[in-house]
Amino acid sequence: MPIKRYVETIKRMDWVLFGAMAALAVGSVFFIYSASYSASGPAAAHHGRLPIYQMQMMWFGVGLLVYLAVALVDYRLICQWATVWYVIALGLLALVLVAGVKVYGARRWLGLGSFGIQPAEIAKLATLVAISYYLFHRTLEARRQLSTVWVALVVAGAPLVLIMLEPDLGSALVLLPICFGLLFVAGARVKHLALMIALGLVLAPFAWLHMKDYQRDRLTVFLHPNKDPGGVGWNLTQSLISVGSGGWSGKGYLQGTQNLLGYLPSTVAPNDFLFSVIAEEKGFVGSLGVVGLYAVILFSGLRIAANARDRLGMLLATGVVVMLFFHIFINVGMTIGLMPVTGLPLPLLSYGGSFVLASMTALGLLQNIWIHRRIY
Amino acid sequence: MIISAPFRENNPRLRAIGTIIAGGLFLLLGALWRVQVMRGQHYDNKQDAQSLRRIRIPAARGEIVDRNGVVLANNRPSYDIAIYLDQMGVPKKGNVVAIAQANLGILGSELGLQNKLADRDIKLHYQKRRPLPMPVWHDLPPEQVAAFSERTNNLPGPDLIVMPVRQYPLGPLAAHLIGYVGKADADDDDDDIEKFSYYQPDSVGRQGVEKACDEYLRGSPGGRTIRVNPAGTIKDDLGEKQAERGGRVTLTIDVRLQRILEKALGEAPPTAGKQLSGAAVLLDARTGEVLALASVPSFDPNIFSPGTPGQMIEAVMNNPASPMLNRTIGARYPPGSTFKPITLLAGLESGVISPQDTVTCPGFFTIGNHTFRCWNHSGHGRVDAETAIRESCDVWFYERGLKTGVDNITKVAAEFGLGQPTGFDLGSEGRGLVPSAAWKRTQRGEKWWDGDTVQLSIGQSFLLVTPMQMACVAATFANRGTCLRPYVVKRIESSDGQVVHEGQPDVRMHLSAKPQQIEFVRQAMLGAVENGTARPAAVKGLSVAGKTGTAQYDTIVDGKTQRLERAWFIGFAPYDQPQFAISVLIEAAKEGSHTAAAVASKVFAQAFGKTTEDSRPAEVIYAD
Repeated sequence: MPIKRYVETIKRMDWVLFGAMAALAVGSVFFIYSASYSASGPAAAHHGRLPIYQMQMMWFGVGLLVYLAVALVDYRLICQWATVWYVIALGLLALVLVAGVKVYGARRWLGLGSFGIQPAEIAKLATLVAISYYLFHRTLEARRQLSTVWVALVVAGAPLVLIMLEPDLGSALVLLPICFGLLFVAGARVKHLALMIALGLVLAPFAWLHMKDYQRDRLTVFLHPNKDPGGVGWNLTQSLISVGSGGWSGKGYLQGTQNLLGYLPSTVAPNDFLFSVIAEEKGFVGSLGVVGLYAVILFSGLRIAANARDRLGMLLATGVVVMLFFHIFINVGMTIGLMPVTGLPLPLLSYGGSFVLASMTALGLLQNIWIHRRIY
Repeated sequence: MIISAPFRENNPRLRAIGTIIAGGLFLLLGALWRVQVMRGQHYDNKQDAQSLRRIRIPAARGEIVDRNGVVLANNRPSYDIAIYLDQMGVPKKGNVVAIAQANLGILGSELGLQNKLADRDIKLHYQKRRPLPMPVWHDLPPEQVAAFSERTNNLPGPDLIVMPVRQYPLGPLAAHLIGYVGKADADDDDDDIEKFSYYQPDSVGRQGVEKACDEYLRGSPGGRTIRVNPAGTIKDDLGEKQAERGGRVTLTIDVRLQRILEKALGEAPPTAGKQLSGAAVLLDARTGEVLALASVPSFDPNIFSPGTPGQMIEAVMNNPASPMLNRTIGARYPPGSTFKPITLLAGLESGVISPQDTVTCPGFFTIGNHTFRCWNHSGHGRVDAETAIRESCDVWFYERGLKTGVDNITKVAAEFGLGQPTGFDLGSEGRGLVPSAAWKRTQRGEKWWDGDTVQLSIGQSFLLVTPMQMACVAATFANRGTCLRPYVVKRIESSDGQVVHEGQPDVRMHLSAKPQQIEFVRQAMLGAVENGTARPAAVKGLSVAGKTGTAQYDTIVDGKTQRLERAWFIGFAPYDQPQFAISVLIEAAKEGSHTAAAVASKVFAQAFGKTTEDSRPAEVIYAD
């Protein structure tokens, strides 16, 4: 009996949104296969693990279950536990600093059996929920006060600082647009938000002084891409060549020379630079397809926000949309030198379990809000 | 649970966010349009520039053959074992040099070969020429090639490659004429070095025809385009442009005559304790074609192929006897008495001498307080012009030469082409020297004395000639007054069989003397061989005309002064319808000019299929 009810409920979800997500997931598996395919043949499984395109398929399988589960349980119920999620997230962030696995000089991973999870991905969602829930509780009058802005910033600031310490600058900075986006749609005064941004800009030089060397390098490479093309600028230079040489219609699937020959390093091609692989093999047409699918997801999200049953749903949906947009804009922008190299992955496309699960959880939340919308 | 506050569907702030997102996506699309569509070609070129490499493939060098098609120079395959450093499967941060040395050590011990590659060279090759094979062992014999193919270890990297090697099937025969090749330095042809990422140089001619006809023999290089990964390993082969084989050079040389000339010259006896050195040139007197050209000591051009131990090449290069020197064009000597026919012709032409003029030779000649001796110290008695040539009487020439004067003599010498390059197509020839009063004043700051004219008359003084120039003098007498340019390149055909160059007889100038004057000198030269000082040049059944010459010079050997005789012979045959003109020079001859004349005799006899006529008188005379 409950199974049948669940099926009935699921049938009410936004199928266009689901279709766009499914299309990106299928593309993800195909292009991760391509990105890990070398001139000498498909990448062999190593260290006794599955090839990464199969890993990604598995993550999408797990992700689908999470997606359905998140979509079914009423979001209002989920948000009642907002504080708990938030505290757990902070706990995990603290734990990763102590017990995290060190990869390339950063502690971002918590070992969990043979898998690793990135607490930062959990923290993004938990913070989104926490701020939404907080703003949902404030009256219109309260939301127009500067104090609300401060509280929201503190809620975002705690995980931000912890993530910065890992360090993972990109993931940490995602929290800011989420926070500002939520405050903005919640009705905070633009004057107050502008004040905060101005304050942030004044403090930015101090942040610069506290950055790790590699973070500074990434920012200076963005400003001067030709400064050191053999070193830090390598990824950016090669990504630009990949995307550009794709031309109008691309070189064809599995024909991306940049990736096949290893100019686009195989360590970054399947995750942070997967868009470069797609753009090289499928050209501008492929880029248009990817951006188009994201547009479908983002505007479906905004439609869901507009049609949410209550302000909580509207806030959550907006937060998800802002979070996804920020990832997309930074990642695609990074591959063509429009944005600094921050290491933010592309939702649904980039290889990586934690982020696939986080993205699908966020999309499940959107479906949840849509399913539980008020129908007139 | 708090009941939801009323919610306005038409939220302008939500729309603002929608606008920002739409703007952001359009910004991305615009930027992608710019990178992919507007600047796509730019990035495509950039990609090619970083991943495409052009490898130059040298062309096979063309053949050199004699006038009858006998091969003098061609290519043979050399089986080399080379190592592909990029295919050894060196792990990241692995030591390429150590792995290469280890693999080669194992292979070498199985094949019984010693690996002599230096670590430094391996490292350099890995950095600069990674996709190219690095040669390890050159020119392996068939047994070792077989052993390599059947080797038990299969370490990655080593491979058998076949390289063309220049070979000279006849060994040292005509070595100075053919020359040899070396590996081109990159700057030998830097015109196209820029076009290639990996430059495999051509062989380049270093001497002789190999050098003179280098541009035809070389052919044009091909190229192979490959795609490499950032480590420089070949990942893709994008095709090859075939190299175009070099052209075929046919020489005027006749291998049969070349053998005869080299053998005759090689058998000439040198002064006791000296190594034989000399030169000889055999021309076709009618055309100026070089039929044979020899210079001793000689060398085997095959030693310049890769794989020859360096000491062997150095031994040849540093040999004090200079075997690499082409003495026919690269060395200059005073012509001695072989110059006398020119002095005689100058006298006749200027009208100072008439054929009937007689001079009494007492064995010496005096100007002021200076005495010049005749080679025959007891004197020739009454001598006319014809006898003066036949017996090579110095006094007659002292006397008549002085009357003729330096200007008349040098004018005729110039008509024979002395004092200037002959125009021989091998190039790098000495121009010799015909002195004059003006030359002496500017070069030596001294007046031209009558004594100088006296010396010039018998081919001494400052006069210097090459054996090639003297062969031209002989040819000019032979053909009755036409000075021809000697040439050795008969024909050059490109690889598709088209004739790109045809050697043609080339008249440099004509003697201004009257035909009967030239005929008189020719007759005197005939007399010299038939019953004069040049008798050793005679051949039974063949009328040979010629003139000998000897120049004595001193060298210091082991602190002691030794007097040596430089022997000359110039001549032509048959007298009436001359075909061959010859010049022979021997630096330290055992029997003076007899030695040189005997060489010519052997050459003419064998060339015409006659036997030499030993008409030498019983007593040994130091004839001049």
